[in-house]
Formats: sequence, C-alpha cells, structure tokens
Amino acid sequence: MSFPPDYHPGSDQPRLNRPVPERYPQIRPTSGYADARILHSGPGPGAGTEQEPERSALLTARLLVVLSIVVGQLRALSLAVDAWMEGHTGTAWWCTGFQLLSFLIALGAWRIGTQDR
Amino acid sequence: MRVRQPARAVALRGRSQQVLRDHLSADSLTSRRDYLRVMTTVSGGLTVGSLAVSAGVLHRHGDAEAADRLAPGQAVLFTYPGAYDRAMAVRLADGGVVGYSTVCTHLACGVLWREDRGEEGELYCPCHEGAFDIRTGQVTQGPPPRGLPKVLMQERADGSIWAIGTAYADETVPPAACGRLGAAHPRADAITCHQRANGEGN
Repeated sequence: MSFPPDYHPGSDQPRLNRPVPERYPQIRPTSGYADARILHSGPGPGAGTEQEPERSALLTARLLVVLSIVVGQLRALSLAVDAWMEGHTGTAWWCTGFQLLSFLIALGAWRIGTQDR
Repeated sequence: MRVRQPARAVALRGRSQQVLRDHLSADSLTSRRDYLRVMTTVSGGLTVGSLAVSAGVLHRHGDAEAADRLAPGQAVLFTYPGAYDRAMAVRLADGGVVGYSTVCTHLACGVLWREDRGEEGELYCPCHEGAFDIRTGQVTQGPPPRGLPKVLMQERADGSIWAIGTAYADETVPPAACGRLGAAHPRADAITCHQRANGEGN
C-alpha cells in the first residue's frame, strides 16, 4: 500500500530509472548516498534517483513520529507493570489500550508509504 | 616454467577484487525505510508485552492460588522482617493465623512445627527439647528463658497472608505492637488497630 496508490519511486522515463552505477559510472559504493555530484532531484542533468524529494522528508518525519511512539510505549509498559504489581489491573489495561492505539498509528505511518526512500 | 595468463583474465580478477573491496567498505544499506519497519515491529512487540502483563503473565508476590492456601494445621516458612530472620506462620484449627520467629530463645536452634504435640500442636526445639505454645508463643517446656518473638500476620480478603509487623514475646499484641507498627507503616497501623478496636484483630 502506498499513497497515492499509483506512486512509484523514480521517474516515468525508464532510462532515468536505470541503476545508479549505470547512469553515473564514476559513482562507486564508497561514494555514499549523498554524492556531491548529484546536485538536483531529477529528471535531468545531475539528478539523483529520487524524483520526489518531498517524500524523502516525509519518510524522515514518519520515522520521527514512530520513534516518539516507541518511547511513549516504553514508558507506558513500565507504568503497566507497576500498576499490575500494585494490583491496579484496570490501570494496566488502560496502558495496554494506549499501546494498541500507538501501535496502530505506527503501523499506519509505516504502511502509508512502503516504497518511499 | 611460468605460464602467462591472458590479459583478459587478469583484468577480470582485478575487477572482482575491486568490487569486493568496494562491497566491504560501502556504507550500510539499512535505509530509513528499513528502520521504520523495524521500529514498527518493536512497537508491535511492546503492545504484545503490555497485553501479556495486563493478562497476568507476571507473578505477583502474594498472589494466592487455590493450591497455595494454608490449610488448618499447616505451617509455612518465610523470612521477616529481614532476609535472614527466619519465621513461620501456622494456621490454627479455628482458622486463625499466627506467626513466630523460628529462632529458639535458648541457643538459637531452628524451631519446628509439631502438630502432634500438645492440644493444638506446639513449636518444638529439637536441640534441648524446648517447646512453645502455638497461641501465645510462651515457653511450655524446656530451657528457653522466654517465649518466641511474634510476627503479626494479616489475612486479606483475597486470601493472601501478609506479615505486617513484629512484637516481643511478652508483649500483648494490641497496644505496644500497634504503636510500633504505626511508626513504620501509618496506613497499616490504621487498618490493624481499627480492626483490633472493633474486636476483630488478634
């Protein structure tokens, strides 16, 4: 699943979707992702492989959201264990509900753009 | 005699070595997308963990199972108030629970529960045949100079039994023990002393 549904990474022009080593023989794996010779998003001269750089920023944002969620879940789990040990079973179940909701949000944040990069 | 290799074979080997070196020294191929997937999986794992905790997978200290119930005439050993203070709780025939230190006041031997001795059973020290009354902890036989220190027991509505304080051997439980208990645990004191005032306590 991805949004929009017809999204695919890369260009509509197949020649621009050739592997990077083929398009830029000078770039070797040791060049890293941020090669200085890639100046613009494509298509065109100096273009990298990403045709929609805003999706890259969105991927970073989604990753930050999920990381925040996981931190909150760790805190909620410790609260749930404390509550359970003190006999407050209702509080533990509320924490579990929060965990479930958080997981659903994280799942959505991942599934909404599985092809982004 | 040395065999000359074709130039093409040498070039291929050089090329493969170059590819291998590049592969080994390349950046990690873990992308943000992979990382997002991993963190989502972690999130799911935490949810499952919380579900298990709420469902009761963790054992709580003091949880009473049916098989763990203390039947009349049975005793259970524990340590209280410190990790090296051996104590024993005994369920009496009338349903009450009493607790005592199991360190004999004579020469500190381990005291045993003997249900077959006396009218209701006795705490018996095998070293010098000392014996203590199970209801009061007072000496009924042998050389011990004084009775056993008491451990105050409380049985709660859920069936769990808790040690909540200690009392000297010659101390009548209510006033002195209640006051000392109150100094350490104000809330427990309020409960037990209230029960005692109403004639429910021991």
